[in-house]
Amino acid sequence: MEATIEFFKKIIENLNGFGFPFLVFFIGVLEFSFGLYKGKWPKNERWVDISCFVLPRLVVQPAVAYFSLKFLPFIFPDVKNVFDWVPFFWGFAIIAVADDLTQYWYHRLHHQIPWLWRFHRTHHSASYMGMAMASRQNVIYTIFFSQIYLTAALVYLGLGIPAIAVRIIKSTITTLAHSSIPWDKPLYQYKVLHPLAWVLERLISTPATHHAHHAATTDDGVGHYKGNFGNMFFLWDIIFGTGLISRQYPKAYGISHYDGDQWTAQLLWPIFKSKVEGSELAANGPVVRVDNDYEALARREQKKQAEVIAPEPEPVPSFSHS
Amino acid sequence: MKMDKATKSQIARNAALSLFLYILPIALMFISFLITGQRPWEKKIHHKENAKSSTNKNSQNNGSND
Repeated sequence: MEATIEFFKKIIENLNGFGFPFLVFFIGVLEFSFGLYKGKWPKNERWVDISCFVLPRLVVQPAVAYFSLKFLPFIFPDVKNVFDWVPFFWGFAIIAVADDLTQYWYHRLHHQIPWLWRFHRTHHSASYMGMAMASRQNVIYTIFFSQIYLTAALVYLGLGIPAIAVRIIKSTITTLAHSSIPWDKPLYQYKVLHPLAWVLERLISTPATHHAHHAATTDDGVGHYKGNFGNMFFLWDIIFGTGLISRQYPKAYGISHYDGDQWTAQLLWPIFKSKVEGSELAANGPVVRVDNDYEALARREQKKQAEVIAPEPEPVPSFSHS
Repeated sequence: MKMDKATKSQIARNAALSLFLYILPIALMFISFLITGQRPWEKKIHHKENAKSSTNKNSQNNGSND
């Protein structure tokens, strides 16, 4: 029995070490082979995506893990493995709620508190969905991200195995929700799968609900960047009334007024500022910039074109009796 | 740019509900222990006691298992 437990422990540990980068790489290769980034991945965006993927894994996460392992025994020497009696099932349930609900709030507040928005803006500036942009975050957002600290603390408290199991499941769900491969589409196409779709889209993040969160528009029935904040569980959005389920995918992604801020500014704002005038990341830029109203712009453009084709008649002088 | 009042009050209401959600799995775990009569934390204490008695200072190998 002990040998079996050890075997599963080793599988979980290995999946935690190599599983996530492998999953991202595998799905990324599929996305590239389907040509999903064709013409959408210019040099500046490539630098943002690659630096945001590499820096946390090479610097932030190892540093946090190292200092946690040194710091925790020094500050709390008596609580090492204090919760190792908690059964795996309950440990998993407690951590899944604690981790994902905390991340829901971390994410939601970065959208709802104006001064926090610029730390999360980098994740939304990509005009495409997929593995390339899944890890795209400002470094400050990554440093204060709860999951790294929570996992380190839980490992110290003796809940390492359920913590890592949660992390693997969560990474898989969030990675697939960002993917440009809509794995959930068949669930909406075949009537027999509708009950399963109904449960899944309320329980976890799917490409449809998370893509809606990355839409360039909101309040149009599909795009919903003012909500759909859930990462692993979509259930939080259902409970708090911040969710929108449309079973459709947005036509355009990103930020309507994004104009290619330098990758250094996107990775390290406020240390580096954007040179794009009027950008939220520029030195004198607004905290939150109002969205470009595409529909109003399109209407204005149509009106202009109509005026060019059929010029308005010269006004006839009229005489007023007033 | 300031946050609007409706968003503020929604955050406050949802934060209160979140406290309940955080506690829920912990409470359910102890309720399940109460129903099944399980006391896994006691097993851990016994383990510790056993470990101590096998390596006490009176043993010939002076606490070492080598």
